[in-house]
Amino acid sequence: MMLSFFEWMGNLAFSKALGASVWQFALIQAIHLVFLAVFAGAVLIVDLRLMGRTLTDRPVSQVARDAQPWLIGGFLGLLITGVPQMMQNAIREYYSIFFWIKMGFMALALIFTFTLRRQVTLAGGGATAVTFQTKVVGLVSIALWAMVAIPARLIGLFS
Amino acid sequence: MLMLIKSVFEWVNEFPSSIAIRESIYVYPAILTTHIVGMCVFAGLVIMMDLRLLGFGNNSTSISQIQRRLFPWQMVGMAISAVSGLVLVYTQPMRFYPNVFFWIKTVMMLVAGANVVAFHYGAYRSVADWDTQVKTPLGARVSGVVSIVLWGLVIMSGRLIAYNWFQ
Repeated sequence: MMLSFFEWMGNLAFSKALGASVWQFALIQAIHLVFLAVFAGAVLIVDLRLMGRTLTDRPVSQVARDAQPWLIGGFLGLLITGVPQMMQNAIREYYSIFFWIKMGFMALALIFTFTLRRQVTLAGGGATAVTFQTKVVGLVSIALWAMVAIPARLIGLFS
Repeated sequence: MLMLIKSVFEWVNEFPSSIAIRESIYVYPAILTTHIVGMCVFAGLVIMMDLRLLGFGNNSTSISQIQRRLFPWQMVGMAISAVSGLVLVYTQPMRFYPNVFFWIKTVMMLVAGANVVAFHYGAYRSVADWDTQVKTPLGARVSGVVSIVLWGLVIMSGRLIAYNWFQ
């Protein structure tokens, strides 16, 4: 059933049109990486703060609130440039273990970011304390998003 | 000059360690992935600083604080991406040499570096006067835009090295 969905996706006129132009596809890939940098910056500035490794005299909640538009904007940019790549290479993605590892960790990372991490970053009010809990949350967030980005690079290299 | 650069690339191309990594199935992807991770740390935190300069992000923190506290992490990211990037070139010099995107990337990095120097010896010297303001002086905003555009082009041309167009 999943395979037929990927076959259908790969056969859409939109996917075929993307595949016909190498330029278009390459540019989408390149822009995807720029959004990755924006997103990574917005994740890291908060996670490093949670771990007490940067901006320690600023309240976590303030750093997180400031970074939030770029976290969401960066992710939307990644989505807009990522989905067409998946559609164009639908069958390759379906058979790539790294694609499924990326998707699995993305689901986990999204849930974690918008539940537990959000709660911890916004809960403290004006507090600047670094606790065991904030350290763990920052570290888990970095690890989860790294497990999205690393397999992503490997999809194209091992297929 | 060009002949000299070319002969250095050709010379490195024959090093046994360069050939060994080139022919390994796993080492090259591992280094390439490390390069991307380093890029995320470096460019991500540079962009966070640039957004602050433009008044588009992190505005509740003062500019000098952002600069001082993000700088060590930007350097960590730069070290990871610079070392892994040099190793990538070391392993496939004759693939990079004729690649136009590789040279565009190299030149953009040099210009971006010059922009950093210009900012620190220019607009940033008077930071005490506008440290907490959202709207920064023109010089600082220009540096921020130039930095985002140049590092964006570095990332994009880096990705496009995979394609051997215009060779």
